[in-house]
Amino acid sequence: MLLMKERVNDLLLALAGKSRVYVPARMTTSVPSVASAAPASTAASAPAVASAPTAATAASASADTSPAATASVSPAAQVLSRFELYRPGTQPAFDLVNTTLPPKDMLFPQTQKMYRYGIDAEGNAYVDAIHDADEVVVFGLRSCDARSIECMDDVFCTKGYGDEFYEQRRARLTTVAIGCTEVAETCFCDSMGLDPTTAPAADIQLHRTADNSAYLVQAQTEKGGAFLKTWAQYFDEAADAAPVAKVECTLKVNSSDLKEKLEALFEHPLWEQLSKKCITCGTCTYVCPTCHCFDISQENRMKDGERFRCWDSCMFSSYTEMAGNHNPRPDKMSRVRQRFMHKLCFFEDRYGKQLCVGCGRCIEKCPVALDITLLIDSVQALSLDSPSTSSVIPSQAKDPSASERNDSSPTAQNDGLANSGNEEGAVHVAG
Amino acid sequence: MSALQEKLQKRAAELLESGEVAEVIAWGAGRFENQTTPLFVTTAQEAEHIRFNDYCVNTLAKYALNEKTAGKIAVCVRGCDGRAINRMIADNQLKREEVYLLGIPCQGMKDRRTGELLEKCTLCTHKAPLVYDELLGELVDTDGAADAMQTRFSAVEALEALTREERLAHFNEIYNRCIRCYACREVCPVCTCRECFVDQLRAGWQGKQNNLGENRYYNLTRVFHIGDRCIECGECARACPMDLPLMEINRKWIKDLDTLFAAGEAGLTDELDNALGRYDLSDVEEFM
Repeated sequence: MLLMKERVNDLLLALAGKSRVYVPARMTTSVPSVASAAPASTAASAPAVASAPTAATAASASADTSPAATASVSPAAQVLSRFELYRPGTQPAFDLVNTTLPPKDMLFPQTQKMYRYGIDAEGNAYVDAIHDADEVVVFGLRSCDARSIECMDDVFCTKGYGDEFYEQRRARLTTVAIGCTEVAETCFCDSMGLDPTTAPAADIQLHRTADNSAYLVQAQTEKGGAFLKTWAQYFDEAADAAPVAKVECTLKVNSSDLKEKLEALFEHPLWEQLSKKCITCGTCTYVCPTCHCFDISQENRMKDGERFRCWDSCMFSSYTEMAGNHNPRPDKMSRVRQRFMHKLCFFEDRYGKQLCVGCGRCIEKCPVALDITLLIDSVQALSLDSPSTSSVIPSQAKDPSASERNDSSPTAQNDGLANSGNEEGAVHVAG
Repeated sequence: MSALQEKLQKRAAELLESGEVAEVIAWGAGRFENQTTPLFVTTAQEAEHIRFNDYCVNTLAKYALNEKTAGKIAVCVRGCDGRAINRMIADNQLKREEVYLLGIPCQGMKDRRTGELLEKCTLCTHKAPLVYDELLGELVDTDGAADAMQTRFSAVEALEALTREERLAHFNEIYNRCIRCYACREVCPVCTCRECFVDQLRAGWQGKQNNLGENRYYNLTRVFHIGDRCIECGECARACPMDLPLMEINRKWIKDLDTLFAAGEAGLTDELDNALGRYDLSDVEEFM
């Protein structure tokens, strides 16, 4: 079947009448432009807030009209983007290679309220679970993000435990993937076993036609088939439209046998060397579509309270803190090692696939350019026979940062669950 | 630039060879064109990997705090790195003798995506290093530094000209976007608390939910905490994955402290001179 481009908005509008629809969109800003209020002579050095919308306008003007097929890999000025709720007037940005923020929060929100509890007026205790009952369609996923949902499904729905909060959202989610027609310089999904053009796990796969007038539509699951039937009026017969040529990532890594190699490298000095530049912020984990670690906490007010879970990051020292101030990952070396081992070794051990989908978001956003593909190169360059006490990372692509020794996080330890009740930022005196 | 890079490689190798320092903190090549990444060199042979070009965007000084356990550490310092070192010494985080400073003239660094000068560098008032043990290259006339003394406040002035409601909308927009990755805190050379208030979980100052209230609370508390010590390196805004203009409110602080206490700029020397860190009988006390 064929979805003509000029009918996409009609379809989205119709969908939005029945469910919540998320589309990739540039993050618009309602911030009053500080630049325009500035004296004319200083406008050139105006703050960053003003530049985002300008860049967005420029980008959208040239968006999606270029005769793609060839991989363009310029490090384009990044415009912030995310999957946003589609409303009449929303401009879906299907031309984005991928969004700044991953779509994982549709299934796994950064803050998810789980239940309310307390004592009611009659003096009886109550616990009410909070569930989200809306049907959700995510329209315009890329292959990397579709794979990330497979990874999260493994975590939240298999191995004998189903996470009800995740499962309920997952059951109501329909995924519509669009094949990539260009790649960013940081994209390396085809090195991680993905195909940028097709996401086999998506309910529906769209491929742009070569003449850029429509998408070829294919249902890949039962849910996808039912979806196409329900909305049949928006689709046309495919005739003989040809899909746009396949794209290939320009950034390549060798991901074969990574698990086996990493298993032997747990104590290798490369982790010390690699982690020196890490500042242990949570950027990589928060822009990662597969990072799924969370913390459960609660906030109490008088006789009522709410329990919620929120994203946590293995890069934070508090993540592994235990009662009595014990921390099994006390330094940044052990935290950096954990993150990469989880991505490329432990997860495969447990679920048979790597937890890195090659979307490149962490490479793009890391403030110190700690690059997972350089780690993979280093690991592949190590011979498993070599003594694991070698003190130098072998020749890397271009980044031969090589040194050793320990460092310790400047962050001291503490323990206990957060239990704070300043939702509106009431003024506290912080130490 | 490449002459400077050669000098840097040569001096790093010599310092390591002679045992004068245990490590040199510099920049190395990243994977992509026009990308660099912090580099930690411990042997003379590795010094050849040092890079210095227009894209050395990272301010390096804070790494000295972690690395100094190995012995004396050489750090490449431009204006921003040097002011960070000064401030860390003033804050008792570092001793001057723990670091060997390789002064590097700087003309500002560029964004690899646009090729344009980084915002933090266009507003920089001291590109040349103010502190060093030796200077590599010649101190050059740094364009625009005098202009920056004024232009760096233009965003603040624009904010001040907004109505209360507009300002609220502006900051709500910023803090709504914050994902609380704490990159701003981690790169900040004056965020050196052994234990950040955010991590004092038992005290519970900072709730863990991501919402406007919690995000605002985090950001504003950080501003209060660093306001009179901020060296205006702009690393917080550069590191922010959500491109939040975090220096706006920092500079509001700086501008007000300047007006009220003639506070001047932070980190020009390693004296403990921050306006809110000392008391002077001539201080204004309009609220008393």
